[in-house]
Amino acid sequence: MRNFDLLEPKTVTEACRMLDDGEDVRPVSGGTALLILVKQGLLRPRTLVNLKKLEGANAITRDEAGAVRIEAMATIHQVETSPVVREHLPVLAAACHQVANIRIRHLATIGGNLAHGDHQSDPPGVLVALDAEVELSGTRGTRAMKLADFLLGTYETALEPGEMVTAVTVPPVRGRLVSDYLKFTTGSSEERPCAGITALVRLEGDRPVEARLAVGAVAARPLLLCETDPTEGALPRMAERASEEIDPIPDLRGSAEYKRHLVRVLGRRALAAAWKEACP
Amino acid sequence: MRHLITATVNGRERELSVKSSQTLLDVLRDDLRLKGTHEGCSVGVCGSCTVLVDGKPVSSCLMLASNAEGRDVLTIESLARDGNLDPVQQAFLDRQAFQCGFCTPGMIMAVKGLLNENPKPDEAEVRDYLSGNICRCGTYVEVMAAIEDLTAKPQ
Ligand SMILES: Cc1cc2nc3c(=O)[nH]c(=O)nc-3n(C[C@H](O)[C@H](O)[C@H](O)COP(=O)(O)OP(=O)(O)OC[C@H]3O[C@@H](n4cnc5c(N)ncnc54)[C@H](O)[C@@H]3O)c2cc1C
Ligand code: FES
Ligand code: FES
Repeated sequence: MRNFDLLEPKTVTEACRMLDDGEDVRPVSGGTALLILVKQGLLRPRTLVNLKKLEGANAITRDEAGAVRIEAMATIHQVETSPVVREHLPVLAAACHQVANIRIRHLATIGGNLAHGDHQSDPPGVLVALDAEVELSGTRGTRAMKLADFLLGTYETALEPGEMVTAVTVPPVRGRLVSDYLKFTTGSSEERPCAGITALVRLEGDRPVEARLAVGAVAARPLLLCETDPTEGALPRMAERASEEIDPIPDLRGSAEYKRHLVRVLGRRALAAAWKEACP
Repeated sequence: MRHLITATVNGRERELSVKSSQTLLDVLRDDLRLKGTHEGCSVGVCGSCTVLVDGKPVSSCLMLASNAEGRDVLTIESLARDGNLDPVQQAFLDRQAFQCGFCTPGMIMAVKGLLNENPKPDEAEVRDYLSGNICRCGTYVEVMAAIEDLTAKPQ
């Protein structure tokens, strides 16, 4: 692989100072996206800042109010197997289980996944459906923003130079969430998603008060549709609307028309599955 | 830039001086001359470079060598002891679960990872876990048979 220098900070403050040093300095976490770009000659960084050795940067916790906080360096496998995530955000565990293959999930981090900004990913759509926020740290301090605002487009995020993602948080859920994640690939089973569909039904008592449909991997950014006081009959219309509103990126995995069709069919299926479980 | 790290490789503690841009695979093959770990795709897809780090399978082609600091690395060379094959190796041999053998070290290390995590996986779990290990000779049926032999035996 092309040469670069690897700096190895122990604290976030130190890392941010190292990152704030010009154009060809970049953070590296799992390296599963970045090292491929370096190997292919698409990136030629002079210096990489290794975030893997930051202390305590991979915890997954839930506070008293019910907010779940995942530190950026948690691997996709840690997210998928975390008892907190499995119990409280099973749809995120399910989506993470479907990322890549077991070897990559042991290396890849959730922070790297979101910061990479590749639209053909599983976690971003699910996390947008869950109203997740990212925490960004830089030399000028820490800020938080909605993941939906952080993801600007393919390989484009709101990260400023010298900034890094330090955590992703999911706010407390009011009532009970029933959810379904459907991943569709056109190649082998562990391929990047052609479409990743999240359906959520939120219940207060036994009453469905909100339905959500998030479409990931199809367009440059995830699309989120929400409907309050949903009825079963309104769900197909939601999937229909998603397929009309989405702006698919045509590629090897399918044409825009094909992807629109997928969104309609899978959207309907995911919503129906969540509804059936929510209101049996 | 170089980094001085300490890692356990196949049971032996090693002090290694690794380059910033070296992957674990580079260090295993080029510096430690452990040629059993193969480089197929170099981009995380094929699984022929699979080794265990702290008991878990990773693509050594995408792991920076410096991150092996303090970790326990196992390659295919660690399995046979005193001329006796590991049960997974023996099962692969019994079932002829390879042809050219290029994918085999990675396939066997992935199976070791699976059985570490889950000694009694069902067929769906095996398929899911190994879905990222690719065999161009198409020995999947024999690999499944070898694993069935291993998991059917009382342990
Ligand atoms: C074979 C293969 C199959 C895959 N299949 C899937 C799939 O099915 N679904 C899916 O969702 N993804 C898939 N991926 C992508 C994978 O999920 C990402 O490569 C991974 O999540 C990136 O995380 P990382 O820690 O390895 O990031 P890195 O490679 O370390 O970094 C990625 C980018 O983010 C930056 N960065 C890293 N960490 C931070 C941080 N904390 N703050 C700011 N910037 C940061 C880096 O500078 C770089 O630009 C696949 C990858 C491979 C190799
Ligand atoms: S060589 Fe590492 S996965 Fe193919
Ligand atoms: S035995 Fe030839 S690639 Fe698997």
